[in-house]
Amino acid sequence: MIRFERVNFQYADSEAGVTDICLHVRKGECVVLTGPSGNGKTTLIRLVNGLAPAFYTGRFSGCIQIDGKDRSGEPLWKRGKTVGSVFQDPGSQFFSSEMPGEVAFSCENYGFPHEKIVLRTDVAIRRFRLEQLRDRSLDVLSSGEKQRTAVASVYAMNPPVYVCDEPTANLDGQGVKELREVLQGLKREGCTLLIAEHRISWLMDVADRFVYIRDGAIQWERTPKQMRLLPSEVMKQLELRAVQHCMPSRLSIPAVTGSPLLSLKSLSCKRGKHTIWENLNLAAWAGQIIAITGHNGAGKTTLAKIVAGLERPSKGSISLHGRKAGSSRRRKSCWYSSNDTGTQFFTNSVTEELFLGIFRTEEQLERARNLLKKLDLYAYKDAHPAILSCGQKQRLSIACGLLSDRKILLFDEPTSGLDGGNMRKIASALEDAAAEGKAVLVITHDEELIQACCSFQWDLSK
Amino acid sequence: MRETALSVPVKVWATACAILGVSLTANTLLTCFLALLAFCQLVFEKRWRLCLTFGVFYLALVLLLYLIRFHSLRMVVFSEFYVLMFYNLMPVFLVAWDLITTPPGQLSAALSKIHTPTPVILGLLVVFRFFPTMKAELKGIRQSMKNRRLTGPVQVLRHPAVTCEYVLVPMLLRCLQIADQLSVSAIARGAQSPGVRGSYYARKLQLADFLWMGIWAIGTILFFIIGGIK
Repeated sequence: MIRFERVNFQYADSEAGVTDICLHVRKGECVVLTGPSGNGKTTLIRLVNGLAPAFYTGRFSGCIQIDGKDRSGEPLWKRGKTVGSVFQDPGSQFFSSEMPGEVAFSCENYGFPHEKIVLRTDVAIRRFRLEQLRDRSLDVLSSGEKQRTAVASVYAMNPPVYVCDEPTANLDGQGVKELREVLQGLKREGCTLLIAEHRISWLMDVADRFVYIRDGAIQWERTPKQMRLLPSEVMKQLELRAVQHCMPSRLSIPAVTGSPLLSLKSLSCKRGKHTIWENLNLAAWAGQIIAITGHNGAGKTTLAKIVAGLERPSKGSISLHGRKAGSSRRRKSCWYSSNDTGTQFFTNSVTEELFLGIFRTEEQLERARNLLKKLDLYAYKDAHPAILSCGQKQRLSIACGLLSDRKILLFDEPTSGLDGGNMRKIASALEDAAAEGKAVLVITHDEELIQACCSFQWDLSK
Repeated sequence: MRETALSVPVKVWATACAILGVSLTANTLLTCFLALLAFCQLVFEKRWRLCLTFGVFYLALVLLLYLIRFHSLRMVVFSEFYVLMFYNLMPVFLVAWDLITTPPGQLSAALSKIHTPTPVILGLLVVFRFFPTMKAELKGIRQSMKNRRLTGPVQVLRHPAVTCEYVLVPMLLRCLQIADQLSVSAIARGAQSPGVRGSYYARKLQLADFLWMGIWAIGTILFFIIGGIK
């Protein structure tokens, strides 16, 4: 169905690209492209859906056949009928605020007659069990539901080939499960799937082959069975995520002495008439890394924002060092870094970012230098924060938190969408923070991260 | 979609009638007749909240006008001229608001029916998506500024320009990012496909639509007969 023959591609505006790619994806097969971020997975996906070289320009050589034909000559919009694309962040690619309008978008673009559009849209909505969400605004859906809507809008076009570029980067456990079922269904219907992904455990039952890509070239291919046999040391070297699905961990309360750094007393939160959670009594001690877990909408982010003094609880109190603290005092001693790193950086360089609001002394400069080296950011110290990759932005945010001298650090999903290598770097950064005597609270769905570094867990689902 | 909503051509027609009526009339005070018509339309469409908020605003204007006219009330901030202007333009506001709050899907359907070029329709859809996205974005920026302690009154007053920069830089970067993602998504989904765009929302004109077109036509003519033309 998809055949790469000695394909080379190099982006016009950077060094990155892929070299000498030979790959054949048969009809009805599901092939997963894996490997560390920034090594060429996405480029291959773009070559299949035509965005490279048509939208992302560059030098192309070789031949890509889709459905038996070399498509390099035809206009890009024709490719959309054969290849459907699912992207990383579904929320930011919606054109409509209503579900039917969004699902129908491709069909509308191709100018299908009205009856056909309605039929296909309704079939797609039913196929992905989205009927009960039909009348809701797309903005209020969960990440999993949004991604299902995005797949449905591709499904309405009924293309034989689906390409997905890190479709789970913004999904929680439930969303990933939903997506797996969706892809399994598509495969049963005979669709060809090409997926770029570094979270691989969820794909073990769907994929036929895993193709490892590094430095812009295919290194090896393995079946799921062979993948399972790889020892974890090798996986670490390959910078991959775990093959086995980590069992949700149950961490017990460690033995601690002394007064807690942070304690919540009968804290409740209501938004409108809806009670998000109530009567929370929790405590955190210095040197701990606490995982805040719970399903979507359990109020994890709200809890973190309330602790950080950015929002107000409806009842209860929060104490720091055993003394009740209002929101402005909490803001002084808590650092909150949100999941969306796009809105967190305000200055022109990584170094300035670190010293935003901090007095520059020789000692602090030295600390910053060590911190950047430890977090593998030193080479970027004069770079603009906007050009950093996701993993680097998350690390920079952690570095800012560490340098800020606040005692309590809260991180919201710092590892979502990161490959194994980046995830481990974040885990060790959190451990360093705890070793400095901070209390670290991390909201996460990432069982691997919890196993790697957390000492204790607050589960909000209960 | 509300069953009672009128179709887009009717709303456009109503807006045109209201504009024509308001701009040509010789008797400004009589525009309350058109406003009444517009309120009736909202009631027919069961847009209660819109009706209530605009209704309260309109009554306040009427009260102010009455006080100005008969009790020689002097306005301090908001001059008498503006009160009259708002009162006068109210029918247009009402129907135009009704028009632009139509779900974008229906607007784009109506536009593609009259063979509007696809780039224009896509542009419109993007504009409608832009505001909710930016609102969420601004909230995020404000919270992370608060976290960075950049929102204190001292900070803002001492460095107003820098504060603006802190808001604008992440906003603009985010705009670029969203623009990029949206164009990729549009291209991959065949937005460049030539020819007339199809649409999911297609409503045939119903009896109620014709009825309201008639009401507006007759209403405007009656209004001119009673009030006279400049």
